[in-house]
Amino acid sequence: MDKDQIQQDLIKIVGKSRVLTHDLDLMYYSYDSSFLTKLEPKTPYAVVFPHSTQEVQRIVQYAYDHKINLIPRGAGTGETGGCIAINGGIVLDLASWDEIIEVDAENMQVLVRPGVIHAHLNEELAKYKLFFPPDPGSSKMCTIGGMVANNASGLRAVKYGCTEQYILGLEMVTATGDIIYTGGMKARCIKNVSGLNLTKLMVGSEGVLGIITGIRLRCWPKPEARGIAMAVFDQLDDAPTTVLEVYQAGILPSGIEILDSSAIWAVNQFKPEIQLPDAEAILLFEVDGNPPGVQYDGEMIKKIAGKRAREVEWSTDPQRMAELWEGRSVTATAAARIRDDGSRIFAGEDISVPLSRVADTLRSIRALADQYGVQVVNYGHIGDGNVHTAPVINPENPEEVEQVLKLVHEIHLLAIEMQGSTTGEHGVGVVRRPYAELEHGKAVQYMQRIKTVFDPQGIMNPGKLF
Amino acid sequence: MDFQKIPPVRDQLMKCVRCGKCRSVCPVFTEVKNETAAPRGHVFMVQMLRDGKVQPSEELYERLSICLMCENCTVNCPSGIDVHELNAAARSYIYDQNPTLGKEVVFDTMWTRPGLLKGSTRLLWGTQRLGLQKLARSLGLTRILPGDLPKAEKILNKVPFRSARQRLPEVNPARGQKKYTIGYFLGCGTDLLQPSVALATVDVLTRNGCEVIVPKDSRCCGLPQIANGKMDTARRLMAHNIKIYNSYDFDYIVTDCASCSSALSRKNLEFLLGGLKIEDQAFEFAEKVMDLSYFLIHVLDLQLPELKDIETVRVTYHDPCHLANAQDIKEEPRELLRRIPGISFVDMEEANTCCGGSGTYSLTHYDISMKILDRKMDHAMATGADLLATSCPSCMMQLNYGINRHHWQAKVVHPIQLLSEYYQRVPVINQ
Ligand SMILES: Cc1cc2nc3c(=O)[nH]c(=O)nc-3n(C[C@H](O)[C@H](O)[C@H](O)COP(=O)(O)OP(=O)(O)OC[C@H]3O[C@@H](n4cnc5c(N)ncnc54)[C@H](O)[C@@H]3O)c2cc1C
Ligand code: SF4
Ligand code: SF4
Repeated sequence: MDKDQIQQDLIKIVGKSRVLTHDLDLMYYSYDSSFLTKLEPKTPYAVVFPHSTQEVQRIVQYAYDHKINLIPRGAGTGETGGCIAINGGIVLDLASWDEIIEVDAENMQVLVRPGVIHAHLNEELAKYKLFFPPDPGSSKMCTIGGMVANNASGLRAVKYGCTEQYILGLEMVTATGDIIYTGGMKARCIKNVSGLNLTKLMVGSEGVLGIITGIRLRCWPKPEARGIAMAVFDQLDDAPTTVLEVYQAGILPSGIEILDSSAIWAVNQFKPEIQLPDAEAILLFEVDGNPPGVQYDGEMIKKIAGKRAREVEWSTDPQRMAELWEGRSVTATAAARIRDDGSRIFAGEDISVPLSRVADTLRSIRALADQYGVQVVNYGHIGDGNVHTAPVINPENPEEVEQVLKLVHEIHLLAIEMQGSTTGEHGVGVVRRPYAELEHGKAVQYMQRIKTVFDPQGIMNPGKLF
Repeated sequence: MDFQKIPPVRDQLMKCVRCGKCRSVCPVFTEVKNETAAPRGHVFMVQMLRDGKVQPSEELYERLSICLMCENCTVNCPSGIDVHELNAAARSYIYDQNPTLGKEVVFDTMWTRPGLLKGSTRLLWGTQRLGLQKLARSLGLTRILPGDLPKAEKILNKVPFRSARQRLPEVNPARGQKKYTIGYFLGCGTDLLQPSVALATVDVLTRNGCEVIVPKDSRCCGLPQIANGKMDTARRLMAHNIKIYNSYDFDYIVTDCASCSSALSRKNLEFLLGGLKIEDQAFEFAEKVMDLSYFLIHVLDLQLPELKDIETVRVTYHDPCHLANAQDIKEEPRELLRRIPGISFVDMEEANTCCGGSGTYSLTHYDISMKILDRKMDHAMATGADLLATSCPSCMMQLNYGINRHHWQAKVVHPIQLLSEYYQRVPVINQ
């Protein structure tokens, strides 16, 4: 269908002020945080900003009638090209639909629209001494809708798990234009095993089944105390071993993060005031809970980590803790600082491996990086085996691009070989779709068949996931 | 200068990871909630422009100029990208390719010639009879002042009759023993809109052993030109100012205007003049430039004896972006306020978020500017302060508009005015 016509029709549906049609404006929607879209940005036919379920429904019905692709988008911080119109289509920018409809503190839950930013939600919940535990590094930017669609997690997944554990129910518009309510969306109970679990099916569906328009989230009581231990290692291998030893001692920290030597250097360049010590690796353990429990866990970690670490710093000082945690959360982008003319790229950045093989994996990645002549920074959620590799290249040098693409392919294969997964939390999108068969075999066909139930014409975010 | 060769364009564009961190700190994005207003979007577009994938069109200029130049994205970018500089460089490039952009009169002629600027300010902003609207139209300014001229007029309506430059002698001797020779960089905003701030600055400095010279032929710092696509004009102004100030033997070059000190800082001179012949002289000049509050705290280390029987006033402080973001000066103005007897200092939430003024932004983007201002005023009013202090004449103008808009009884002041008032009450000190 003619692009101009689509634009005019959309204006009739939601009004002129909530449709972008100018070619320049559309270009701003040709990228997310993936390296893929840096190489190949793709522009949609139009961008709409719906602010009600009915508006979404009308847009979907229109697209269904005319067989036009629909691509939901949150903040565009995904690293897989998931929210990009790779084959043309209408992008629904849901980030400005960011209402917190109701905090039901008594029933420990909250009802939100998809565009609410993760950090904003937690600021609001803090007023009720509640929190939504998954804690992605992109907390200040990413939307709850995007988190649900990607089943995001983050720094605290070790103890608190992923987004999926907190979704009580969803409101969604399927690709046929039906509005459905899954799980306990219309209830207020916490336990609910009634019916096929469509909520779980939707979580992590990356926008290929429908558009999430409402989310009922379970919240947890916000722990009163928190502490962070930083253990400094001269041998990289000692870090994963220490993690296992902490678990074996019966301690479950809320987060365990690793930074390798290059990550440490990068963080110190970006935020010198944090003053991370020079080392082969640093582990950051976060513990939370009641004050005596936190103190006990902190002392145990100090003792256990102290066996292998050069030094262990234990802090409950809010400012120091904020610095250390900030240091970790900026590593994702600050990695670029290791090279003057370099950029960190998001590709091959999110493999997940068994805990027992983290050390092997880190070593193998280093070897591969050397082999392809690419500098990498390693960090990640080591507590659950989720390794983040940040290749730092000059993306304007075609040779480097060629090498890095080979490297990330090898890293994905390495993950599967290690009995892991190509992605621990960032999702599949376009970039990891080629590994779907390898990871899931015949199950991919069942995934495709499920999709046709929700989306018989294949208009929902095509080209992603499988 | 060739667009491709401007330092951030040459070195930084490829560093953007598109992580979106800058979205979360951009005051414009917070209101507009649309990627076309995101700092990340600006970086992307500048790259497209450099690569010839988009034309240097007026439409692109319009999109880039939704940015306030508050630099919040720059200080928060983990990849170390000077986002606002990329934006400014692109605007300038587009401007050069589109002579019809229509701001020539204001930014090339008026702002480069203090006398003319003063005259036109009077005409443009002051004369009720002629009216801003009519005059702006006749200057071809309507395209950058869309729609809301009458409201904009209110922002600018109180232009004092006599400028600071008219009231101040060129040489202001130190009272008591002379410690330093200071070149006072009297910016256009202070000079024309807040002359009493300039008088207070000279008062406080001379009381504290500084001979204060106000060089006659000093010109605009160039910041309005950078923000409005005229980097070449800014370069010319800068070269002129460097020559003038370097011809004296100043110990320090001090300014009470956050925007001026940021424009004259080494960081900005690297952006503007990096790689040019004048670079060394520029850095020599920048070495001496210092924000007034920084000078008062770190060089003079002012100690202010308590006064008897004084009423306490509650003061809150708004961080000008050009001080807090551009120069990381946040503590000194607060410390100065705390040191003044009779002041009870209270911080507001989001003190370091732009007020939406940003020079001419409140005129060119009235609606967005007001949304940002309203948020600022909510935080300021929540402190229950009697006085709202800030160290930038442009912020003062915007905040003044804010207190009127919100019918708030507080007064907007520059910290130096409070200090000068303190001294008025203890005339014996330091004399
Ligand atoms: C610096 C940085 C750090 C990060 N750290 C983490 C981390 O620690 N843990 C982690 O899990 N991720 C992390 N991410 C990845 C990313 O932030 C998450 O995947 C996040 O959940 C994406 O949210 P978004 O709003 O940006 O979604 P987008 O990128 O806009 O979209 C992501 C996917 O969700 C779909 N989608 C979005 N909204 C909807 C909706 N309402 N209905 C249906 N589908 C929808 C899109 O089509 C797309 O497929 C990080 C990213 C960056 C840039
Ligand atoms: S914060 Fe920096 S790297 Fe991230 S998107 Fe913004 S400009 Fe790019
Ligand atoms: S300078 Fe300020 S207004 Fe401009 S893009 Fe950056 S944060 Fe936004």
